Amino acid sequence: MSNGSSFEPKIVGFLCNWCSYAGADKAGGSQKSYPPNVNVIRVMCSGRVDPQFILKAYSAGADGVLILACHPGDCHYKEGNYKAMQRHRLLLRVLNQLGIESERCKFDYVSAGEGDKFISIITEMVDAVRALGPLNKVIILDNIGYNTMEERS
Amino acid sequence: MKIGVYFCNCGSNISDKVDSVQVYQALEGLTDVAYFKINDLMCSEDGKQFLNDDIAAEKPDRIVIAACSPREHENTFMRVLTGAGMNPYLMQMVNIREQVAWVTDGVDKASAKAAQFIKGAIKRVGFHKPLEKKSIEMSPDVLIIGAGPAGLKAAITIAETGRKVTLVEKSPVIGGQPVLYEEVFPNLECAPCMLEPLLNEILHGEHAENIEILTLSEVVELTGFYGNFIAKIKKTPRYADLNQCIGCGECIGVCPVDIKNEFNNGLDVRHAISLSFAGALPNVPFIDMTACLRAKGEDCKLCERSCPLGEGIILYDDAEETVERRMGAVIVAVGASLYDAGLIPKLGAGTVPDVYTSFEFERLLSSTGPTGGQLVTSSGKTPESIALIHCVGSLDSNHKEYCSGVCCQSAFKYNLMVEHKLNDAHIYHLYKELVYPGKEEFFLYKRAKENINSAFTRYLNIGSLEITAAEDGRILIKNTLSEKGAIKADMVVLCPALAPSKDTDKLNEVLGTTADTYGFFEELHGRLDCAKSKVRGIYIAGACQSPMNIAQAMTQGMAAAGYVLSGLAEGKQLEIEPITASVDAQRCSGCRVCMLLCPYKAISLDAETRKSSVNEVLCQGCGTCAAACPSGALSSNHFTNEAIFAEIEGVLA
Repeated sequence: MSNGSSFEPKIVGFLCNWCSYAGADKAGGSQKSYPPNVNVIRVMCSGRVDPQFILKAYSAGADGVLILACHPGDCHYKEGNYKAMQRHRLLLRVLNQLGIESERCKFDYVSAGEGDKFISIITEMVDAVRALGPLNKVIILDNIGYNTMEERS
Repeated sequence: MKIGVYFCNCGSNISDKVDSVQVYQALEGLTDVAYFKINDLMCSEDGKQFLNDDIAAEKPDRIVIAACSPREHENTFMRVLTGAGMNPYLMQMVNIREQVAWVTDGVDKASAKAAQFIKGAIKRVGFHKPLEKKSIEMSPDVLIIGAGPAGLKAAITIAETGRKVTLVEKSPVIGGQPVLYEEVFPNLECAPCMLEPLLNEILHGEHAENIEILTLSEVVELTGFYGNFIAKIKKTPRYADLNQCIGCGECIGVCPVDIKNEFNNGLDVRHAISLSFAGALPNVPFIDMTACLRAKGEDCKLCERSCPLGEGIILYDDAEETVERRMGAVIVAVGASLYDAGLIPKLGAGTVPDVYTSFEFERLLSSTGPTGGQLVTSSGKTPESIALIHCVGSLDSNHKEYCSGVCCQSAFKYNLMVEHKLNDAHIYHLYKELVYPGKEEFFLYKRAKENINSAFTRYLNIGSLEITAAEDGRILIKNTLSEKGAIKADMVVLCPALAPSKDTDKLNEVLGTTADTYGFFEELHGRLDCAKSKVRGIYIAGACQSPMNIAQAMTQGMAAAGYVLSGLAEGKQLEIEPITASVDAQRCSGCRVCMLLCPYKAISLDAETRKSSVNEVLCQGCGTCAAACPSGALSSNHFTNEAIFAEIEGVLA
């Protein structure tokens, strides 16, 4: 285990353009600070989040991945958020098999108005991953798309 | 590759928190970064001019703009790029204001976070491809299904601009539900007088030649997509020449066949050849061939012989035909029907004499109805008391959970109309809830309350009401939950919820549109886009989208017309956004996972090659298909796997 106090987790956040990314902007508008550990990647829809993106993030050094979507019934593209939610659930089973704790892969809903909710999700996620420590395993995502595991050196 | 990075101070919004020097130092060693330039306020006129001139001078292959949220100024900078002769998709914006400067404590932390974001963008932008908006030809013509208030208003609004409208109506008459009413709420305006000018404009007005009316017709197939639909319309024969007949009605009286008159809800009879009701438009009779003696093999020609115009007006050989029309957009305005009161059998609809639904009662009140507007019971008596049951099937999880918002107004209208017809009649309102929103609606309620012969009684559950025929010939209304006395009335009017018309499911299947939880046509967005369906180019208007009154239906008809007129402007080509999915046919195995996922039916399987193909007009670019394709054949333009993988690597580097 690492020294918990100095460890700053790296987290990749996939945010849908219409609700969650707007929610993150809303949090910005309120100018309340939150931990800077989440690197946001904007996608048009949470349905675009290919599970490979999540594995890629772990393999590139992320300690956690966050997927934020429109609330059920609010998806700009009707139902992309449901697909994202289903894929997340399936992926969690794979991650658990690989020894990656489910706290490192979180899925939630943030609307364009929920700046405060965005901040609390980020804060809780950073705290949770910080408590877990660095991800000591690494996923090798090779060119043909098969994923393998190695201990991170 | 030459990548230019532009850093916007945003006045001091960004520079107060993010140190551009620290960011610049963090980017050192990134080989593709050719330059790093700082501007104080890039969205200002000066800032845009700087960007424009700098791009022209530097000629970068890609640029990264670290500034505010792309939700604010991505389009602004894309236009600058276009102006400077650079493809606008070769830019990536980085949000270092809302998501960094404003929310991070400490300059070092904020600068480090901004640098990570920018690294992601630099990595990503190398994979951006120049994308072009495509445009295709489209038809400015419009198909409107349903000739009620919403459909008619849309038709005339569009026709007035010189565009062609095909108006398909399944019944022989135009005007929809209110054309059957005597008076309409909230101010008891005469319904035929209100509608006739509109109907006449549609039939004979200045722009009538732009409107093709197909009565007794239905749309049986719709193919194509926004801008280029093709509809197949089945026309049931009318057996009378719509263009030549003068509507004198000579043929009707001579017909020897009497059948139940469905236009008066079966309350009286009509002939096999008839008009729907006196004054129905188009003023041309139709023959109900299932009832006509000729269908039974008899050579009856009484109607033809009575025609003062001679032969050729009545067309016994008229046959069903299917016609094809091409159009750019479709407006669905098929209206609603009443919730089937028979599903609450204790209310006596159809079993207890003198129990009517609101639609039936409208015909009883109408001067063109079965009694000429006289209120009489089935035994010929003038009713001394009438009970109006509100909320039949509404606000009830066993039936329809919503409030239709119009039935109370109808009931208050009945109160006043009954008061006018029968001075001293007692009127009972049995209701679950009373609603009267709007600037005029309270008036009718107030009038009903002020009538000393009116009584309002609240019930808890429609299931506890029992309506039976009493021995004295009157009707007994009991609330089984209450021990207090029952009510006796001579006539009962049930005011059921408005419910989706029975053709809704079939029509959804034909059009590829969807139904909402309640079975109504589903809108794109309940507040922002309630006149759009979820299929591009198919609009919805009137009570087929949600229960509504005439004013709302007319307004929504105009809203749908507005969408058509602005989106499908004549002479304009249809612009297609380039951020769509695309298929690499080499890799596609034809498994159809993408097809089943697409919420817009934008993906189809090519019949010959057995590969998926994306319709760029229908695709909205969500990328859900690309995330699911097991062979990596589907790609999401501008959000390709390569670009996102690179961005992930960049932000974590």
